[in-house]
Amino acid sequence: MAAVDLPLPGVAGRARTGPGPGVITVDAGGGCSLRVFDAGLACCGVEVAAALRRSGALATATSGQQLSVFIVAGTVTDKLAPYVLEAFQDTPLPRRVLSFGACANSGGPYWDSYCVTKGVDQFIPVDVYVPGCPPRPEALLAGLTLVLRAGE
Amino acid sequence: MTGATPSTDGLPARSRGVIALLEENCTVCMLCARECPDWCIYIESHQEPVPGTEYGGEDPARAPAGRGRQRVRNVLDRFAIDFSLCMYCGICVEACPYDALFWSPEFSYAETDIAALTHEQGRLREWMWTVPPPPAHDEGQRPPQD
Amino acid sequence: MAPEEIIAAVGGGLPPEVGCEADHRGVMLRVPHGHWLAALAFARERLDCDFFDWLTAVDEADEGFSVVVHVYSLAGRHHVLLATPLPRSSPRLPTATGIYRGAAWHERETHEMFGIGFDGHPHLAPLLLPDGFEGHPLRKDFVLAARVAKEWPGVKEPGERPVPRAEQPAPGAQQPVPGAERPAPGAERPVPRARRRGPPHVPDGWGPA
Repeated sequence: MAAVDLPLPGVAGRARTGPGPGVITVDAGGGCSLRVFDAGLACCGVEVAAALRRSGALATATSGQQLSVFIVAGTVTDKLAPYVLEAFQDTPLPRRVLSFGACANSGGPYWDSYCVTKGVDQFIPVDVYVPGCPPRPEALLAGLTLVLRAGE
Repeated sequence: MTGATPSTDGLPARSRGVIALLEENCTVCMLCARECPDWCIYIESHQEPVPGTEYGGEDPARAPAGRGRQRVRNVLDRFAIDFSLCMYCGICVEACPYDALFWSPEFSYAETDIAALTHEQGRLREWMWTVPPPPAHDEGQRPPQD
Repeated sequence: MAPEEIIAAVGGGLPPEVGCEADHRGVMLRVPHGHWLAALAFARERLDCDFFDWLTAVDEADEGFSVVVHVYSLAGRHHVLLATPLPRSSPRLPTATGIYRGAAWHERETHEMFGIGFDGHPHLAPLLLPDGFEGHPLRKDFVLAARVAKEWPGVKEPGERPVPRAEQPAPGAQQPVPGAERPAPGAERPVPRARRRGPPHVPDGWGPA
């Protein structure tokens, strides 16, 4: 097959070709449920996915509301930052932001890179920082517990 | 549904949760701060004379004629690890020649303020209580060197 | 194809200026600038290298750049590397997209990271860097600002009191080694700046701002 028969690689615009945004509802007890929006950008996304598949123990919240938690899990590059901001702005209120892993906290191992945003809190207000590289799935559950506690 | 701190039971041996400092062993050789690829270990220190080693000292017979010098030792002022940067590679734990750094499996120390993720000397010493005893050698592993 | 067969085919099919050598990784073709497209077409048609793996550049300091392409033959199961040298000032190369379509994004990335122009590329826009980024990051003379701005925690010698950055002598300034006179008991020995080590992987030329 000659090369010129093949099309050039390109991006198919903004049309979504994969599954939709992952929204998982976690029961926090006391009538409170957390709708978790996971921006799984890199390796930490795997740990968040593992955590959300498990039935972990969360603190019982006193308020019976539905709280949205926007989790940034993975390295945020300067190129991707506007889209992460868009996804944050699309998260319904009331919302909290959880920064998961060293890259989202401060740039992590890539703190010195020319194209990595040194922490997602550079452009998004963060409520809870979960340290780790990557943090354990149980650490995410502990972080979500802190989100509930901090919101009260 | 409980609000208890997640347990660290059942985690594998040598799990890397947090790094603890045994400051009694630290001689401020700076190897951990120098080897850290993230530059996230901050050490400050000063030197102090060791009592009893002044020129002449208590026993004049011990002082070599004309060549003795006051012995000094390094005193640790500040030892901090910034866990918002730390990538848990363990290079500092391996590099320490005096076994002052240890792994602990504790993992639930999330914070609402990123500055609180920089653990100072006191907190790093607190983590020492959570460091498990060294696990038994695995079968077929090379026998220990020491 | 065995390496010897590849070398023989190259010797018969390409001009003698194209160097060819084989090692445990595969066959490496050193292609002068003018024969770049001919060598790529030869690799695709005569050596059956139908799988395009990657295209990138290497900053060879004084010798300029070299653009390297890795292609693979799925049927013959042999790897071929093609490399061509480019001068440091205004490095340009004809695009490989006419022969390997997959080179399109690789050439875009190489263009923005090294500043190498690819003539005839249909869309040489930045791929990975954000808009408004200045400079070519993967060149060796690109200063990694974060490693200059942040003070290396290991710059202090053991037992040395921290000195505010404004009071530190400039790097490279020679100071007399204070070893001649015996220091007073308990006094601290200042560390001469010339003996001070710098952070790893930060060339001397960068220095603090």
